[in-house]
Amino acid sequence: MSPTELPVPNTAATSTRTATVEFSGQKGEYAKLWLVNLLLSIITLGIYSAWAKVRNNQYLYGHTQIEGHRFQYLAQPMQILRGRIIAVLVFVAYSLASSFNPALAAVMMLALIALFPWLIIQGLKFTLRKSAYRGVRFSFEASYWAIVGYFFLLPLLGMVTFGLAMPWVAQKTQKYLYENATYGGKPFSVPTSAAEYYKAVLMCLGAVVLLMAAIFVIVFTFSMTSVLIGDASNPLTQKGMAGAGMVIGAAVYFFAIYLLSAIYQGVIRNHLFNCLHINGVFHAHSAIRILPFAVLMMSNALLLICTLGLAFPVTVVRKQRFLAAATSFTLEPGIDHLVNTVPETHSAFGEEAAGLFDADLSLT
Amino acid sequence: MASNPVIRGLYQAANSSASCPALVTTLNGNILVNHSDEQGEILFAPAGDYQFGDAVPGLPVELIFADGSRFIPDDSRLRWQQLGHKPGMIEWLERHWSAVLAATLLVPAFMWLMITQVIPAGSNAVAGLLPDAVAQQLGSQSLAIIDRTYMNPSELSDTEQQAISQRWQHLLTTLNIPPENYRLEFRSWSGGPNAMALPDGTVIVTDSIARLMAQQPEQLDAVLLHEIGHVEHKHSLKILSQTTAMSLMFTMMFGDVEGLGEVLLGAGTSFAQASFSRDMESDADQFAFKELQTIGRTPQDFADAMKTLAQHYQPDAELAAGEEKSLFDYLRSHPATAERIAAAEALAKEMLQ
Ligand SMILES: [Zn+2]
Repeated sequence: MSPTELPVPNTAATSTRTATVEFSGQKGEYAKLWLVNLLLSIITLGIYSAWAKVRNNQYLYGHTQIEGHRFQYLAQPMQILRGRIIAVLVFVAYSLASSFNPALAAVMMLALIALFPWLIIQGLKFTLRKSAYRGVRFSFEASYWAIVGYFFLLPLLGMVTFGLAMPWVAQKTQKYLYENATYGGKPFSVPTSAAEYYKAVLMCLGAVVLLMAAIFVIVFTFSMTSVLIGDASNPLTQKGMAGAGMVIGAAVYFFAIYLLSAIYQGVIRNHLFNCLHINGVFHAHSAIRILPFAVLMMSNALLLICTLGLAFPVTVVRKQRFLAAATSFTLEPGIDHLVNTVPETHSAFGEEAAGLFDADLSLT
Repeated sequence: MASNPVIRGLYQAANSSASCPALVTTLNGNILVNHSDEQGEILFAPAGDYQFGDAVPGLPVELIFADGSRFIPDDSRLRWQQLGHKPGMIEWLERHWSAVLAATLLVPAFMWLMITQVIPAGSNAVAGLLPDAVAQQLGSQSLAIIDRTYMNPSELSDTEQQAISQRWQHLLTTLNIPPENYRLEFRSWSGGPNAMALPDGTVIVTDSIARLMAQQPEQLDAVLLHEIGHVEHKHSLKILSQTTAMSLMFTMMFGDVEGLGEVLLGAGTSFAQASFSRDMESDADQFAFKELQTIGRTPQDFADAMKTLAQHYQPDAELAAGEEKSLFDYLRSHPATAERIAAAEALAKEMLQ
């Protein structure tokens, strides 16, 4: 039976409606999956890591649903394994060359640098073509020279302007990448504005100023207290204060890092997603609240530090839940009539090359 | 076989976003997909005409039909036992903490086996297979680097050099070692008395060891034999292939684990290397002991040479067994010198009896 013969699904679903994103992954369940796959990868000298990647993505994609439809990760482990074997061979060839024939090694390095933009494209293409929603795949196309421009030349411009142009560069680059992604053959539109990127940076600077003021007040109160107590000259008290100052300083630094990245990432993600749409198919919405986002990032970082990285799967589930709760979609009738335009495989070599460079748009 | 209960789910068309709620009935391995609102049949798939999707914890197992369309059950625990589908081994492992525990124990055991058995054996085999050109290239490159970075031309007089060269030639001919495979080089080095072998058969003697043993040339012979032992055993090539194999193994095993990988790589490689180099030193010692006997002398020469070196580096040190800490820099990567001396003397005594 061909899809065209399929009677149109229930009529209620072909209207415009709003849908939330649901993430149903469980911490314990995913931790087991992640650990078993990690350990299997280790004892197979990394060969299983291709399967591990697929299993992890199948879990995370499959547990993400919109309107009861689960995302799918469709890559075949063998494709990934072939890519990784090529990567290992290139690595071995390069290290052999650098100990026996430095000239050859230099030529190889130049060739790899020249290939780099192509590898970025292949990596993104692979990730997106292996991602599907409702049986329809995503895809990505980009030109080599555009990638050279966005990834190598524009950052140079950013440096020349002492970083002043950097937010603009980031906006241009992300817009280019997202607008070259397609779903069901239709390109995404992301009419972002550089002003939002500058706003995010200014908010970060504002936060820095506020933090500095807070530190000043704390330090001032501290020293006033010790003066009032009257033994500021006591070397023991001074030592204690220096120690307390160090601890507070480290804590503030830690707090500041996650607060600033939460502000920047949160503002940019909200802006990007609120712009992201395909006319007649969907509009995305994102409403990340900065403070809870900062708390999430900080607690995740603490979890990773305290467990030496073993809590990684728990942090992934916590983050996915948070992001899913902050995301929703306006779905338009077009979403029910999309046709998959992406065949199972593209250029055989491109799929393998994707293994050399794991690229992701990080759409979630 | 009887008809099984109806299974609720979603029928997803192939290559389009069209889908509809559906009911599946299974009978003797055949599958019938119906519209859930009783509007009739969607498709019938005879046994063998459909596949099962991967079983992932917490997710339903899909049925994939020949045209690429799918049936996705609502029940995420459904594993299609009624169709004779066996739950996958991988999913079983992923669902059980006991599997996590077992694998956790397996990892260190496996790494121990790799580091102590598989990699040394494998890289020894590889070192034997590497063409001679590799050793030549490596040797001339190392010599160039040594000359550029930390060694200077020898300040020994021609007579001093010739005296040693003659003994060296004599050693090679008596031992039937083809002289064209070896080359003796003299260098001045601020590090003190030392000798070293490069993979291509170049043996470097520092000015200070030549002068230190000028009065006891048979001790220098023992040292030279030790260095020849390194070359004959292809130790440099073995170290090279072991180091490469180790870093490759750690990268492959832990490459995906950020941060952890580097730490383990550093610790594991240096631990393994310390143990390789101990084994190699004692192999070279054994070679020297054996060849000293071949030329009619005893391992006592080697013991004396080690004592002379020890005396030079740490004149006050008692060479008590196990006092590794008080020993000199030069021998830091060698087995405890006292042990080596004891081994040489024991063998020498044995020969006297
Ligand atoms: Zn040695």
